Amino acid sequence: MDAFLDARMWTLVAESTWQTIVMVFLSTIFSMILGLPIGVLLHVTSSEEQGGILPRPVFYNVLSRIVNILRSFPFIILMIVLMPLSRLIIGTSIGTMATVIPLSIAAAPFVARVIESSLKEVDPGVVQAAKAMGSTNWQIIIKVLIPEALPALVSGVTLTIINLIGYSAMAGAIGGGGLGDLAIRYGYQRFSPAYMVCAVVVIILMVEIIQFIGDKISARLIAKR
Amino acid sequence: MEIKLRNLKRNYGSLHAVDDVSLDIPSNTVYGIIGRSGAGKSTLVRLISMLESPDQGEVYYDDKRVDNLSKKELIEERRKIGMIFQTFNLFSSRNAADNIAYPMEICHMDKAYIKQRTEELLALVGLEGRGSAPISTLSGGQKQRVAIARALAIKPSILFCDEATSALDPQTTRSILALIKEIQKKMNLTVVMITHQMEVVRDACDRVAVLDSGHIVEEGDVADIFSSPKSDVTKDFLSSLTNVRESVVRWSDKGGHYTLRFRGTSTDEPIISSASAATGAIFNIRAAGVQTVNGEEMGIMITDIGPDEETAVKTVAFLREKGVGVEEAKKEAE
Repeated sequence: MDAFLDARMWTLVAESTWQTIVMVFLSTIFSMILGLPIGVLLHVTSSEEQGGILPRPVFYNVLSRIVNILRSFPFIILMIVLMPLSRLIIGTSIGTMATVIPLSIAAAPFVARVIESSLKEVDPGVVQAAKAMGSTNWQIIIKVLIPEALPALVSGVTLTIINLIGYSAMAGAIGGGGLGDLAIRYGYQRFSPAYMVCAVVVIILMVEIIQFIGDKISARLIAKR
Repeated sequence: MEIKLRNLKRNYGSLHAVDDVSLDIPSNTVYGIIGRSGAGKSTLVRLISMLESPDQGEVYYDDKRVDNLSKKELIEERRKIGMIFQTFNLFSSRNAADNIAYPMEICHMDKAYIKQRTEELLALVGLEGRGSAPISTLSGGQKQRVAIARALAIKPSILFCDEATSALDPQTTRSILALIKEIQKKMNLTVVMITHQMEVVRDACDRVAVLDSGHIVEEGDVADIFSSPKSDVTKDFLSSLTNVRESVVRWSDKGGHYTLRFRGTSTDEPIISSASAATGAIFNIRAAGVQTVNGEEMGIMITDIGPDEETAVKTVAFLREKGVGVEEAKKEAE
């Protein structure tokens, strides 16, 4: 046991932690870029009772179905399916950067649903007032819906990041790098519980820190209102 | 601006929410539309304010038809009207000043002008220096003041008030109504006030339309409606008002058979004594009081008239001749 508690292990843990941070950070940004417009589109085109400002039932149902299908895909299978895409964009299908692609795509439908449900919580009366004042739909989205839903959106982003930490650990199973990779290769395949424990503890810490910061920002936003 | 409604109809499934409503709302007045919940007043205000299109019928602002506009025209036209709501509907993501600035922002007005106009409006509604206040720190009355300022930001010619005082206590209601009346005069606004509270009509409106199951059952000058109500719905509204008002003193639990309404100068004359002297009638007064309707004194008396049917009929005729409104209560009131 002592043999593993040496400098080499700590270097590996630090490296893996950094890889996880990079993976999660980049895939959060990309999944937001993909998921935000889809979430807004879902909300805007939903029925009037749901708060849609431009109800388009057929479009909504098709988009909603697609999002559901993508969400119900097991992540590990999605990763394998998306390997050629990673190879096309990054040039390889293994490693930290290659994992960002399936991570982003896997999280995007989740982000879309989180955004949609946050926007749905906005008081319909406020949207009606904005409409009565002659706001265009675009102005309602940018100046009313998103700012009004901001605390909920921040909570949604927090949830997404935490989900992505979990997913990124899973990506280790197929050579994605990061803490999950470390835990599987050293902890499981080489029977080194110390690595396993270290990886898990760091992941727990990351989740706690993200949750803490997310809650703080959300609470700050609410307190200012 | 004058508003004309022609044969408006709007159905929700089999429910005729608004059924063949025609109205002329003159410019530069406070016009009340009163009705019980479910009478169709919310739908009506949504139709008049271009938030919804009617199934049939037309809405005109002056001579411009506004119920069949294209999307672009609709947005243009909506930017010329102001609207306030029961639940205020302020943006919680913005402070008071930024709420007021919103309608000017969406019209892409100059930033310096917006700032100056916002200050003006805050002063107009009595909230100087509160511009930076978050909405949640304001009281109900203050919130409605911000909403009024926001509605007036783009200098509209029409202000719609959708149950604007229903969420406020009586004292705040009075101050908000006073503010609306003051602003109406200052800006020559046409104010359309949707309400279920008769005291709002009494304290603020010049004219009123009474709505029941999607129909207009009565329409006219507020003082006329108060002194000689015709429909049962209107009488109900008036009696709910006299029951709760402290201005009416009640001596008896019994209803009394007749309701007398005195208007203007007849409140100053000793009419009851003259009637007694002329016909020999005996009055048993159950309740009586005076209230101010739209600046005019309005007396109400609930009474029995005796000693016999014949005298009562004669007395009623005498009173009516003197300009007193007399209503016979329904038998169930006994």
